[in-house]
Amino acid sequence: MSRDHFRSESARIPKGEDADGVGSALITGTAGPAEVAAPHRRSLADRVRRGPARVYPLPVALAALTVALVAVFEPRFYRPANLHVLMQQWSVLGLVTLGQLLVLLVAGIDLSVGAVMNASLIIIALMNGHSLLVVSLLLCLALGALVGVTNGVLVSVREVPPFAATLGMLAVIQGAILVYTKGIPAGNIPASLRPVALSGVGIVPYSLIMCLGVAALLLFALRRGTYGRKIYAVGRSPEVARRAGISTIYVRVSAYMACGVLAAAAGIILSAYVGYVDPEIGGNYNLESIAAAVLGGVAFTGGEGGVIGALAGSLFLLALLNVATISSLNPFTQLIVQGVVMLIAVFLFQLLKKRTRT
Amino acid sequence: MLRQHPQIRRRTVARALALGAISAIGLAACGGTSSSSGTSSSTSSGTSVKRVTIAFISQGTSNSWAAQLDAVARKTANQLGVKLTYFNGEGNATTQLPLIQQAIAVHPNAIVLVPLGQAADTGPVERAMAAGIKVILLDSTVNTNNYTSLVNPDAATASVPLAEWLAKKMNYKGNLLYVGGLPGNATTILYDKGFYSVMNKYPNIHIVNAGNANYSISTAKQLTATAIASGRKFTGAWGVGGEAVTGIMLAYADSNIRPIPPVAGAAATNGTLRLAVQDNIQAAMLQFPPTDSQLAIQIAYKAVQGPMPWALGRNGGRDLIGLDHAG
Repeated sequence: MSRDHFRSESARIPKGEDADGVGSALITGTAGPAEVAAPHRRSLADRVRRGPARVYPLPVALAALTVALVAVFEPRFYRPANLHVLMQQWSVLGLVTLGQLLVLLVAGIDLSVGAVMNASLIIIALMNGHSLLVVSLLLCLALGALVGVTNGVLVSVREVPPFAATLGMLAVIQGAILVYTKGIPAGNIPASLRPVALSGVGIVPYSLIMCLGVAALLLFALRRGTYGRKIYAVGRSPEVARRAGISTIYVRVSAYMACGVLAAAAGIILSAYVGYVDPEIGGNYNLESIAAAVLGGVAFTGGEGGVIGALAGSLFLLALLNVATISSLNPFTQLIVQGVVMLIAVFLFQLLKKRTRT
Repeated sequence: MLRQHPQIRRRTVARALALGAISAIGLAACGGTSSSSGTSSSTSSGTSVKRVTIAFISQGTSNSWAAQLDAVARKTANQLGVKLTYFNGEGNATTQLPLIQQAIAVHPNAIVLVPLGQAADTGPVERAMAAGIKVILLDSTVNTNNYTSLVNPDAATASVPLAEWLAKKMNYKGNLLYVGGLPGNATTILYDKGFYSVMNKYPNIHIVNAGNANYSISTAKQLTATAIASGRKFTGAWGVGGEAVTGIMLAYADSNIRPIPPVAGAAATNGTLRLAVQDNIQAAMLQFPPTDSQLAIQIAYKAVQGPMPWALGRNGGRDLIGLDHAG
């Protein structure tokens, strides 16, 4: 069978089949191009009734339920000042989660996002006063891209397990930061960067507008673009995708690269928010971004999940933390409550998914 | 699977055996150095003295205070001619725990440990003592008295005047914002002990617990910003750890609340002092001197030489004495 034949098969991968309620990617097997299902479009009612359409609104529903419950039990949550703080935090976790989403969609994982965020802060602080701010920001994004490409190459070309490759990368970046700063980072965050996180339109910070802009682009790319279809195809079944003429290496590397760039962007925003040289700034974001994505319906096995779910998952996670803090719950109790709520959410998600499949 | 020619296979096996033998000899040589009670070296006068080996299991690469602690330890070891093996706890109790086991396996003459987990580190410390290794605890404790010596400012006592200062600044009433440290860490526990011993005396001070910052500035800032945004008015704030204090100050500096309420806690860094001056914040903090590690290495060195107690030097007109808990 000619390569052109596979190419023509790849064109048959249906359009717009991400997991945000539109339908599932229709690569159903592992044997070859013949199993790439024919495209078909479903009505909106059909999409809501059947398939993953019933599954993926769960994180959105959970977030909405949380919001409603909070209105009753902790009305201080709705103070504009609190919503502003929540949106500031959401913009950072949202960006990292979007990056993590892309990697999870191709059945990977990225444990180096926190280290990339730390590196962004160090670059900004060290270059402050020595070069234009825009140069240091571009350098941060370039470093994120480089780290992502390296992760992607290790995973897809060298076939290193994603967990090991990105964990190793985390150690390399953290080590490089320590070697360079000798464990005592110095410098300041430029004042001109701070409005990115601290100012905005009304109570909506500019950082959240940027995050939602990126989300809109990704949503379009995943739902409507060829690239999105390739991502889902590679995540569902790399072998089928390869036989369909999709360059799995390119898709995976690009997903990791995008994740690195988004982590760097999140690091820039968090630096602007904190305004202080904290070398551990990204410490919590590795696990939080994964937790947020999973809460949002993204599967570790790849090919399942979407932008809206990931954003809703991150908002749900942050809203939980926020409510626990403003309620002045004992920190130990906070952890238990958060853990239990997350377990219930994931359990419900799995249950719903199982029912949908049967 | 590819089948190898028998001759090639024999060669491969022989090479592997040779490599293994060389490695074993190398490891034995290294292990011999570490497991002995000290390597011998000749002085200029021709007499042979033992070179003391100390495993320094530090808090590690986590903040500038820890970096200073490490630097002082290294310098002291160099001055004493001690072979210092460094174990990086990375500011994480879980990371540090296996490092203690690793250090015991190498069998140095002494271990200087900055315990990050009060309960978790207890067993390994007792195992090290049972193995005949002197254990000097630095700037934190474990749940046993079975160690050689402890170099530790008393955080519980030290935090009392700070808490009293804060209570007075609050006129003994109002909401107090509390940002915690690292759960399970002995220093955090001791700071809390001192803090609550004071605050429990003042029923009109209402402590609002914002959560644990886990010694992270950005977490502390986010917790504080959330607590402020909830609309509560705070007349004072307490942070456990320099990171928590810094985070509290940063959050208030970015808010439009003026004047910023008084802030107290531990531990002062150059950054927190700068913020206090820059934003006109009344603050009271203490800091564990990074030179504690100098004392710890000196004690470890002397403990290896012979029985304790002995005078290490003089400070403020008093002898510094170490006590041999292990008897």
